[in-house]
Parts: sequence; structure tokens; C-alpha cells
Amino acid sequence: MEALLFNVDGGFLEGTVRGYKAGILTQSHYANLTQCESLEDFRTQLSATDYGNFLANEPLPISTATIADKATQILVDQFKYLRNNAVEPLSKFLDYVTYAYMIDNVILLITGTLHERDTHELIERCHPLGIFESMPALCVASNVEELYQSVLVETPLAPYFRDCLSASDLDDLNIEIIRNTVYKAYLEDFYAYCGSLGGPTADVMQRILSFEADRRTINLTINSFNTELSKEERANLFPAIGRLFPEGNNQLAKADEIDQVRLVCENVGEYRQFFADAGVSSANGPGDEDSSVLSRLEDRFFQMEVHLNKMAFLQQFQYGVFFAYMKLKEQEIRNITWIAECIAQNAKDRIQDFIPIF
Amino acid sequence: MSDDYPSLLRSEQMSLVRLYVPTEVAHDTVAELGELGDVQFKDLNPNVNPFQRSFVGEIRRIDEMSRRVRFFATQIEQEKDVVPIRPLYDSAPVITVGPRAPQTMDELDVTLAAHEQRLTQMNESYQKLSERTKELIEARHVLRETAVFFDKAQDHQTDIRTSFDDSAAPLLQHDDRENQYSAGAGAQFDLEFVAGTIERVRVPTFERVLWRVLRGNLYMNHTDIAEPFVDPVTGVETRKNVFIIFAHGDALLAKIRKVAESMGATLYPIDANADKRSESFREVEGRLEDLQNVLYNTGASRRTELITIGENLRSWQDVVRKEKLIYETLNLFKYDAGQKTLTAEGWVPTRDITMIQLALRHAAEESGTSVAAVLDELRTQKTPPTFNRTNKFTEGFQTIMDSYGVACYQEVNPGLFAVITFPFLFAVMFGDIGHGFIIFTAALYMILAERKLARADLGEISGQFFYGRYIILLMGLFSMYTGLMYNDIFSKSLHIWHSAWDFPSNGTDTKVTGIDNGHRYPFGLDPGWHGADNNLVFVNSYKMKMSVVLGVIHMTFALCLQLPNHLKFKRSIDVWANFIPQMIFLQSIFGYLVICILYKWSIDWSTASTQPPSLLNMLISMFLSPGKVDPSEQLYAGQPFVQVLLLLLAAICVPWLLITKPYIAWKEMHKIQEQGYVSIRGDGDGNGVHRDSSDEALEGEEEGNGQAMVEAADDSENEHHDFGEVVIHQIIHTIEFCLGCISHTASYLRLWALSLAHAQLSEVLWSMTLESWLEPTGVFGWIMLIVMGVFWFVLTVFILCIMEGLSAFLHALRLHWVEANSKHFEGGGLAFTPLTFANPDLKE
Repeated sequence: MEALLFNVDGGFLEGTVRGYKAGILTQSHYANLTQCESLEDFRTQLSATDYGNFLANEPLPISTATIADKATQILVDQFKYLRNNAVEPLSKFLDYVTYAYMIDNVILLITGTLHERDTHELIERCHPLGIFESMPALCVASNVEELYQSVLVETPLAPYFRDCLSASDLDDLNIEIIRNTVYKAYLEDFYAYCGSLGGPTADVMQRILSFEADRRTINLTINSFNTELSKEERANLFPAIGRLFPEGNNQLAKADEIDQVRLVCENVGEYRQFFADAGVSSANGPGDEDSSVLSRLEDRFFQMEVHLNKMAFLQQFQYGVFFAYMKLKEQEIRNITWIAECIAQNAKDRIQDFIPIF
Repeated sequence: MSDDYPSLLRSEQMSLVRLYVPTEVAHDTVAELGELGDVQFKDLNPNVNPFQRSFVGEIRRIDEMSRRVRFFATQIEQEKDVVPIRPLYDSAPVITVGPRAPQTMDELDVTLAAHEQRLTQMNESYQKLSERTKELIEARHVLRETAVFFDKAQDHQTDIRTSFDDSAAPLLQHDDRENQYSAGAGAQFDLEFVAGTIERVRVPTFERVLWRVLRGNLYMNHTDIAEPFVDPVTGVETRKNVFIIFAHGDALLAKIRKVAESMGATLYPIDANADKRSESFREVEGRLEDLQNVLYNTGASRRTELITIGENLRSWQDVVRKEKLIYETLNLFKYDAGQKTLTAEGWVPTRDITMIQLALRHAAEESGTSVAAVLDELRTQKTPPTFNRTNKFTEGFQTIMDSYGVACYQEVNPGLFAVITFPFLFAVMFGDIGHGFIIFTAALYMILAERKLARADLGEISGQFFYGRYIILLMGLFSMYTGLMYNDIFSKSLHIWHSAWDFPSNGTDTKVTGIDNGHRYPFGLDPGWHGADNNLVFVNSYKMKMSVVLGVIHMTFALCLQLPNHLKFKRSIDVWANFIPQMIFLQSIFGYLVICILYKWSIDWSTASTQPPSLLNMLISMFLSPGKVDPSEQLYAGQPFVQVLLLLLAAICVPWLLITKPYIAWKEMHKIQEQGYVSIRGDGDGNGVHRDSSDEALEGEEEGNGQAMVEAADDSENEHHDFGEVVIHQIIHTIEFCLGCISHTASYLRLWALSLAHAQLSEVLWSMTLESWLEPTGVFGWIMLIVMGVFWFVLTVFILCIMEGLSAFLHALRLHWVEANSKHFEGGGLAFTPLTFANPDLKE
């Protein structure tokens, strides 16, 4: 059925996004980039890719921040092009993609205000896709109720915040809780929306979102060890979707150490490798073991995410490609920023620690 | 086919040359060769990263310089008053060759950097000043608007005072603290407020957020500021509003201020006291005036700077572009650190080698060293690029053919014949003396004013017409000729000689039959046909047959062009297996038709014993019922026999075409396999060249250049000819040709259709506009004649000459590309793209 009618509304944009995807840097590009001696070489090398002359008009010494900004700007322009050409239901779908950025921005602003940072500086640091017009007014609010009543009520995020109105004061822990509650609500809502779209979109997107939910659950569990967060509260923050849901989530809610998390993950085939060689390193003494496991875990998560997003491109007539493209491109921006940073700080030994996409 | 004189028939003979360039003259040599524009360099380091090449440092420096030049260009562009830019041909050239070249580049670099620094500085101060001015202007607006508001409020003063009496006391207290925002000075009314400006698009959001934050406890008023604020750097316009918000209580005011600031609003301290307000208004006015003076001065000096830059901008752009090209070319060279020489390989026209050698020597002299670059000619198997030397006359025609496909190296070039056939086929469709004359004069004007127009920027569309001016000239000329043949001038006919028809007027009868008076109109169509009832019947039949005749002649000619190709490339098989059967096939069906047409024209059917036969039916029945011809429609004696014979000939040609070549290829392959060889690389001619080249390689090695020939032979494209490929190719070719003959002949009928449409359209235009006003009576008649005359002329130019002309042009193009080129053109060549400094988009 999708094959019959999908291209009426979505064909052009799917073609466009697949064209964009063809411009994602490949292994050989990365191989060239990592050989660069200076950021100028880096610029020359990037100008041979789809990035083109995006840095040509920057005065010399280029900072890594500029590179990241300009690269993000390209992504944002592409997304806006897609969004402006989209019609229902794709436009709604793309809006959902921006909600994640909006949540991040809201949390960033609240945290920043809490620590009495300059509002304008904060706004500059916000992701351009997540900016909404009444956003600056967030800095006035001093508690969640006010936050919700004054600003968020008219944004699409309003329903997600409804669940966390009870948290009264804004402090760091509460903000973390708010962030996770909101994100949980967002993921569940997005998951349901993709389900309502049905067809291959639902298949592809629910796979990606399930992983995202599981990732959050695992991260939450590990990060909440030895903190004030009670196990009950922790359980409330777990998204009610994903492959670990429900019994995995139940076990994670009760977990006290990493080994328990590993046991839960072993129940899912794809997740088994996350902790695959954790046992080997545990011999090296308990102190730095945890942190190394965690950083490796983080990398594995990213690899898994990239893998899932790449898989999204294998199926046609579905909206997953739009989401996947955004995520892949973000990973690419992280990669080139990482490489640029390594070049700038002359840390060549760590330059290979990026996550290749194609 | 002499090689002494450049001809357009075949592309220029090319040689692969190797240059040994001493490092110190490398730059000047490339500069000289770039001016010459005759060498296409090959990349000798395809495996090297762009940033690992030898001259990447220089390129980076040039990039930085070109960034600066671009910065100047955008700055000049953004300036509202046009800054004059001196064109390149007026500017003094910056000399970047010779011994002083490095200094010149250094100086240029320094100059550019200095200019950039000055300009950025001025921009900054200009921006700062405009920012301040903007703020003052906004403050003035706020003061003015709030004054209006307060004046209005004055009337309701008493009401307000009574209703807010209770809260007056606490307000007075903190008034001392925050004097600037609030005013409670007794005489006025007592309410605190915040005033400022905000972008207009944000007003609704601002209002909404405030309403929610303060839970409705506010009174807000805003008015538009009429004139937009222009950002001095980006030139973006923003429109702003003045707002004034009244609220009650310290905390609320603080909140308002915070929201306003975070929404990008600017707040201004306004006093509620009317005297103080007018005082600060005066103060603002005064400061604004001062600032505007300073701003004007800064702007003026910035402009002076831009004008200085504008004088040199073009030459800088030119230098930077050339230098970048030079270093990019140098990066293609192989750098040998030990011998301090660069090795370059490239294609050059064989004829120009002496000229290039002269240029090399000249470059060495210029740079002040005695060592010139050495040029070696290499023999190779690689296919050289195709280079057709054109001049301004042939350029247009060659481009028409090149846009279809670039001819193979030394293949017969259809562009040469297009010089005549193209305008001719166009003219067949566009035959009208008057219209032809109009486009002829237009082209003549463009040619006479060539020098002037070439410099001016014509824009894309008129630039195209200018580029094709010689094509248009010939098209106009040929149209006048065919117009004479059709005897059409603006849909009227010329009556030069004595017509063959008399029209005796017999009084009342409206229908007059022409009587042949024995004269023959010597040239073109008899004007007696003009206006005759059966004019269309006659002209249609004539033009239709004429297009078939022309079409078959054109296709036959195009087919014949195969022959020189086959002979040149020594493919005798193709002559027997392709050319001859194709020719027989075409001639036995359509050649026969043409002869029949001509024969039918030569017979006086009014005195003949039989009826004139329909040639179309004849051709159809030749296929459907061979050997049978209705005696009443017989054209000549023995017709059935001749037709059967021709049909058999054509029928034989199909399997001949289909089988011969694959069979020979198969036999060849078999022979080689029987001899025990596995290779299928036995084209006969390939071997000879190969042997030559290896000899040449030995010679090359004797001259002392080690790795000379080996790689040149190595990466030559060995096209692998499979037997299956030959079969499939031949099947496709046969089907295409046989079906193509029929459809292409039919396709030439467009000549008839378009010329008919053209004639009819011009006639309609004439009769609808001018004809009825030709005999003016009274003033009104004269006015209408003039109005209609102008109207008719404008429509003639735009519809008949330009629109119809374009359509005829496209059809002529198609006849050349599809109908003619498919008969002989291989078109698998690569165009010669020499390093040249001539800039196609110089006039940007």
C-alpha cells in the first residue's frame, strides 16, 4: 500500500534525504581527515566532500567550535528545507523530531538560570532546531508550576510536562528528574505516534525508539547507583517501551550494581555485546574498572544507534529515513568535531576514537 | 587530408608531451602556458591527497588572499550607493612572473591584509556608532510615543488617582530607589511602568507570555515605529514597536524587565514627569545629532576606502584566480626533490609544439634564468582528447554539435558540414524574405558592433543570441533565399518575372480559372498561385515532396560520412559489413522514392495517357503486394520488376548487416584460439601502434628519462571486445538503422509542416491586423494604419521571427542531432580542456 501512495507526498523528500545521506562521510574520508596536520588541512580536506566551501569565508585560525557550528548549520538548513516541503503526516513526524531538541533546550535554560548564567549566552548555546519563540521567557520561572503556566503551556511540550508538575523546587536533582520524566513521556508519545502511522514507518521507528528507550533505562540505572534517587523514583523514570520492558525494567529498578545490569542485558541478543568484555577488565582492580566499562558502554551505544539508523535506509516508503538521517548526521558532526579537536590539541593518539558511519 | 593546414573536418592531431621544468622557472612556465592556453595537463599524482601535494602551502596562501578579495567584493556589493569598480582592461596589470614575482605577491598579500584590517576596523566602529544611533533613535521614539500616551492619560487623571489612592504610599517610598523606571511624583498619576522597544514579530508572544507570567495584572500599550531599522553590516531590515507596560509592584516589574530583556527588547528609562521627559527628549535629540555627524564621517571614510579598493579589485581578483590556477596545475606535476625539476605530462596539438617550445624559452628568459623547460614528445596508445580549432565564425556551429556529443579523436566532424546544412534546413522551415531580412540585419548589427558588445554584459538570454550571431547571419541569408524560392515576403508574393498564368476577368463571375500562357517563371514559385483556390493543395504537395527529397539527400550524405572514418581508422570490415548494406537499403527504398518524385514532376500529366499515381500508395503497395502494379497508376514501364528487385535488395541487406560483422569477428577469434593464443586483443591495427610505442620508449630511455614509457603504456584503456558484445551491438545497430530509415524519412516531413505553419501564421497575422486598414480614409483611418502597422511589425518580430525562429531552430537542431548524426557519428571523445587563463565568467 505504501508503495502505491507513499511517493505522492513523500517521494520527493525521501529522494532528497537519500541524496543527503549519500553525502555522509565515509571511511576513506575519515582516513583522509585523520591524517591532517592542522585545521587548515582539515578545511581543505572537508572542502572535497559534500560540506563544500562551508568554511571558505572564515578568517584563519579556525576554531573547532566554528567547525561544529557551521556543520550544524548545514544540517539545520537541510532539515528546515525538508520541514518546509513536508505535508501531513510527515510534517508532524518532523515536528516530533524537533521536540527532542526543544526538551534539551528547555532543560539547558532552566539549569542555566538556576546557576545564574546570562540568558543570551544560554540562548546562543541552544540547538537551533529546538528554539521556539517564547523560549527566552523560561528564565523567569522559579518553579515547575510557573514554568508550565507561563511558557510551556502553549508549546507542543506541554503534555509531557504535565506529569512532573508535582516536583516543586528547581534544583539540580529535580531538573534531572524533570528531564527524564519529560523525555520518557516524549519517547512514549513518539512511539505511539509512529505506531499510529503504521506500516514500515512503525517497524523502523519503533525499533530505533525502543533502543533509545533501553539506552536511557540502562544509563539511568547505572547513573543512579549511590545517589539520593530512590528505587521507586528510578522505576518511574523508565520509559514504558523498549525491548527491556517490562520485566527487564523491573529488574533494573531493583539493581544495585553493574553486574545486575549486565545480567538484564544478556536477555536481549543484540544487547549482549554491550558488556561483552567487561569481565576481562574486571581483573584489573575495581577502581577504574567502572569508568572504563561505562565509557566503552557509551561507545557501544553510539555504535548500536548508528547501526540501527543505517538499517533504516534499507527500507523504502517510510519516514524512518528522516529520523535516521538526522541522527547519523549528528553523529558525523560529533565525529568531525572530535577529529578537529584532536588535531587542534595535538592528541593524535586518540584521533581514531570516533564512530565511523559508512 | 593534409596535416599542414588546420581543418574542421577532423580534430587536431594531438601529441602527448612530457615537460621537465626546473623548479625555479616552474611558476613562470605554467603562467606562460596558461596565457597560451594550449596544453592540457594530466594529473601525475592521482594517489596523493590534495593536502599532501607539493604546492599546498602556496594554494593556502592564495586561498586566504582570495578570501580577502571576496570579502572586499561583498562589502562593495552591499554598499547601497554603487561603488565604481574599475574594469580589468583599464587596470594596470599586476606582473606575477619574472624575478620580482615573489616580492609582488608578498606586497599584494600585505596590501590586502592591510586593507582588510582597515575595513574591518571601520566596519566595527561604523557598526558601533550605528548601534548607538539606533538606540538613540529608539529612545526618541519611546519618548515621543509615551508622551502621546501620557497626554491622553492626563484627561483621565482624576479617575486614575482616586482608584489608586491606596497604593500611592508604598510606591512613593521605593520611588527613590528606582527613580528611573517609575514615577510617583504626586502631581502626575502614580503607576509604575516599563517602556522600551521590541521587534514587531515578537510582540504577540511577548504579550502572551507577560499576560501569563503576571496573571493578567498588567496594562500594555504598544505602537509601531514607522521606519525600519537597517543593520549596517548585513543590511537586514527589522521593524520594531514601542511598548509601555504598566504594572503594580516591585516583583512584577522585575519580572517584566527580565522577560523583556530575554525576549530581546531594549528598555529605556522614561520619567513620568512631563518636564523631565521633554528635557531628556531634547538631550537625546542633541546627542543624536552629534552622533549622526560622526557616523556620516565614518561612513564617508569607509566609502573612500571602498573606492580605493574598487579601483584595484578586478586586477586583484584576476591575479588571485590566475595564481590559484597556476599552483593547482603545479600540483599535478610530479616533483622530484633530488633533481630539482618538476615533471609534467599533457596533451598538446602537434601543430603547436614549436609555439609551446618558444613559450617555454620565453618563460625562462622572463624569469631571468638560462635553464628552460625541456619538452619531449611521447608516443602513446591512449586516445588523445578531441580538439577542433574554431574561429569566431565556426565556433557557434561547432558548439551545436559538441553539445550533442564530442567527436572521437580524428573522427569526421559533423560541425564542419553544419555550417551550411544547419542554416539551410532552418531556412527551409523559415522561408520568408522579409523575416529572413529582419534576422539577417539583427545578426549583421551584432557582428558590426562585435567589439563593443563583447565587452558589455549582455545577460544570459541576449548573450546567447550574441554567441550565435554568425549562425543567425547565415540563417537569415538562407531564409531570404528560400523565401525567394517560396516567393514569400511577409506572406505576400513578389512579382518579378512574367507569371505563367493569366487570369482573364470575365465580368460578373467571381471564380476565374487561370490559363497557361506559355511563360515559365524562371525562379521560385509562380506568383500566380498566390491567392488561388488550390494554392494550398499545390504548395503542400510541393513542399511535402521537397522535404522528403531533402531528407533523403541529407541522410545519404550523413551515411557517406562513415566512409572516411572507416578508411581513416582502417576498418575495412565496416565498409563491407556496415556502410555498403546500409547504403543499398536506404537507396533501394527511399532513394527510389526520390527518383520517382523527380520523375513524376518531370511529366506533363495533362497530356499523359494515365492518371498521375499516388506515390505514397505506390510505396505502400511495393511492400504489401510486390510485383503487382495497377496499370492505371503505373508510373513507367517495367515498374513491377524494378520494384521487386529493389525490395529483394533491401531484404538481403538486413541479414547482411546483421550477420557479417559478428561472423567475421567470430572467425577471427576462432583463428586466434586455434593458434593457441588466449588473448582476444587482435584488432590488427592495435599491434602496430604498440610496437611503435615500445620503440619510442626505448628511445626515450636512451635520452635518460627512466620510467618514461612503461606507465604510459600501462594504464592505457584496453577496451575489451567480447564476441557477445559485438553480436548485441550489431543487432541493435541493425534494428536501429532499418527502423530509423523509415522513421527518419518521415521525420523530415517536419520541414514541410513548419514551413507551412510559418507561411500560414504570417498570412493570418497580415490579414488580421494590417490588411483591412491598408486603404485609409480620413484621419481615423491613417491613425489606425499607423497603430496597426506598428502592432503588425512588433508581432512579426516577436512571434514570427523570434518565437517561430526558435522553433525552427530546435527542429533543425533535431534533424542534425538525431536524423543525421545517427548515421555516422560515434561521438565517444573527450573534449580538449587546456589550462587557460581566459575566464568564461569574467563579467560576473
